[in-house]
Amino acid sequence: MLAIYKKELRSYFTSMIGYVFIAFFLVIIGIYFFIYNLLFGLANFEISLNSITFIFILLVPVLTMRLMSEEKKQKTDQLLLTSPLSAGSIIMGKYLAVLTIFLIVIAIISSYPLIMSLYGSVPFGSAYASIIGFALLGSAYLAMGLFISSLTESQVVAAVISFIVFLFTALMKGIASVFPSDNKTAYLVFCGVILLICIVLYRMMQNLTVSSIFGVIGIGGLTVAYKLSPTLFDGSIVKVSEWLSVISRFENFSAGILDITAVSYYLSIIFLFIFLSAQVIKKRRWS
Amino acid sequence: MIEVKNLVKRYGDHVAVDHLSFAVDKGQILGFLGPNGAGKSTTMNIITGYMSATEGTVRVNGIDVYEEPEEVKKMIGYLPEFPPLYPDMTVLEYLRFTADIKKVDRKVKNQMITDIMEATRITGMANRLIKHLSKGYKQRVGLAQAIMGYPEVIILDEPTVGLDPKQIIEIRELIKELSKNHTIILSSHIMQEVSAVCDSVLIIDKGKLILQDKPENLSMRLGSTGGLKLSIKGNKEKVSEILGKIERITNMEVQNALEEGIVNLTVYCSENEDIREEVFYAMCKANTPILEMQSIRMSLEDIFLKVTNDPMQAQLEDDGKRDLEEDREANDTQESELTNTHKDDVEDKEAEQDASDL
Repeated sequence: MLAIYKKELRSYFTSMIGYVFIAFFLVIIGIYFFIYNLLFGLANFEISLNSITFIFILLVPVLTMRLMSEEKKQKTDQLLLTSPLSAGSIIMGKYLAVLTIFLIVIAIISSYPLIMSLYGSVPFGSAYASIIGFALLGSAYLAMGLFISSLTESQVVAAVISFIVFLFTALMKGIASVFPSDNKTAYLVFCGVILLICIVLYRMMQNLTVSSIFGVIGIGGLTVAYKLSPTLFDGSIVKVSEWLSVISRFENFSAGILDITAVSYYLSIIFLFIFLSAQVIKKRRWS
Repeated sequence: MIEVKNLVKRYGDHVAVDHLSFAVDKGQILGFLGPNGAGKSTTMNIITGYMSATEGTVRVNGIDVYEEPEEVKKMIGYLPEFPPLYPDMTVLEYLRFTADIKKVDRKVKNQMITDIMEATRITGMANRLIKHLSKGYKQRVGLAQAIMGYPEVIILDEPTVGLDPKQIIEIRELIKELSKNHTIILSSHIMQEVSAVCDSVLIIDKGKLILQDKPENLSMRLGSTGGLKLSIKGNKEKVSEILGKIERITNMEVQNALEEGIVNLTVYCSENEDIREEVFYAMCKANTPILEMQSIRMSLEDIFLKVTNDPMQAQLEDDGKRDLEEDREANDTQESELTNTHKDDVEDKEAEQDASDL
């Protein structure tokens, strides 16, 4: 794992992507910090951070797109996968490397509240709570980006898909509020989603039985649940889309609250996508 | 050492490897031979644990690749078809990285890297970026990577592709050297290579094992053509007349003489006959001394074509055959006669195939 970590970290700094990411990130945070905190004289760093969560949508794909896809393109994955390393440690090494780049940025912005404190009293608690939230949000996006990169051979495709998915997670809350909240629509929408998953499964595995069994069980389960207690589905589209809306979890942090449910939400997202990436690598073994 | 049983790999409807079984003993060099797309690389990828088989098992030292991949991977060094190199690393950085991922002990790491660079002759390139290396050097860096950690089994997929003749010889020497302490599997579609280094040859085609044997046995078993090349001191008419009396000779070709008073000719008899003694005594009696006599054996190329190229498959091997034909140009002239007749044979078969396609 350490070997992969070192190699990955080195490649970020030999290929300039590392420098570009850090510099660009700091410039954007710097602009908001300058406008809100220095120019307008607000003591709350969390306000600046809350305004720039969109930055992840743009910058994380740049950082994560090459992680696995480049290995596949160069066929160096053959070296990694035939070495005695486990899939988990390959993915962990890569994730920790990309996380390190991101944490360099976090370490630098952690000094901003201290800078402000030179000129007046600063609510450190809420400032650092929001920085922790910001770091977790970023880490979750990095894990998602890593996963998407492990699905494809092309860096461009990885970047575009990551961008679309991230954009979707950011807009999720707004989109969901448009949907009617009655239980019948919810039931139909979920059935549609399950069908979609079946089609994707079939495309990936070329196995009609597995995908149709999944579809039958999923839709059957939904129908049974719907017949037994239709009220379960009331407003559920909004609920589900809130689970998927990664950015909206950050709101409590930006209000200065260290929200434990959000912390565990982000940690689960990170764990889930690292786990999935490792499974994608292992897929060659069981497909 | 390595035991492959009933290996099958399917991609959708396409069967890349079809019930392949073989075994390799410790310290052996096994050569995989087959036209392009025969399933050589797929088999190697399965043995190394890069991909899984649809059916069948692979055991290395009694350990199943599917069940304990990490244990098996520790014992195998692999050079895939395209050397897995990071273009932005220097050779030294790359080898350090491979030593790390193969869990080479820190204490011996630097010494091992120096030794391996020496053995593969890349010491001079240690600080060059890999992307600036030529194809031959890249191949050698890939080979160095496969040897790293001195695994018990070394698997090389077409190790000499893209090398110049001198490098090819060097790499072959290196492979022979390595075989003293390692078990080696290498693949190739070049016959000479396999016959030069391997203890055992495995010919596969369309994922099926066609035959496995020692290279020398291969030419014994399939290679006897019942022909003799002769150089005889004497005049043409007399020699032809005497040879004509030997009944078992079915055909005779007289070549242009290179020296005055010497007849060069090729005589044929049916495949299982041995006419050497008879020819010798006949010439002896007639007082026309034989200066040279050589039985014609099929080259491995011809055997290869013979076993892979029945008319049903003529289309498929087009690619492989083109390569072989190039190699054949370079083949020594001794066998050119036979090769030509064989080539005609193949063309006939192809014509038949085309006709039946229509």
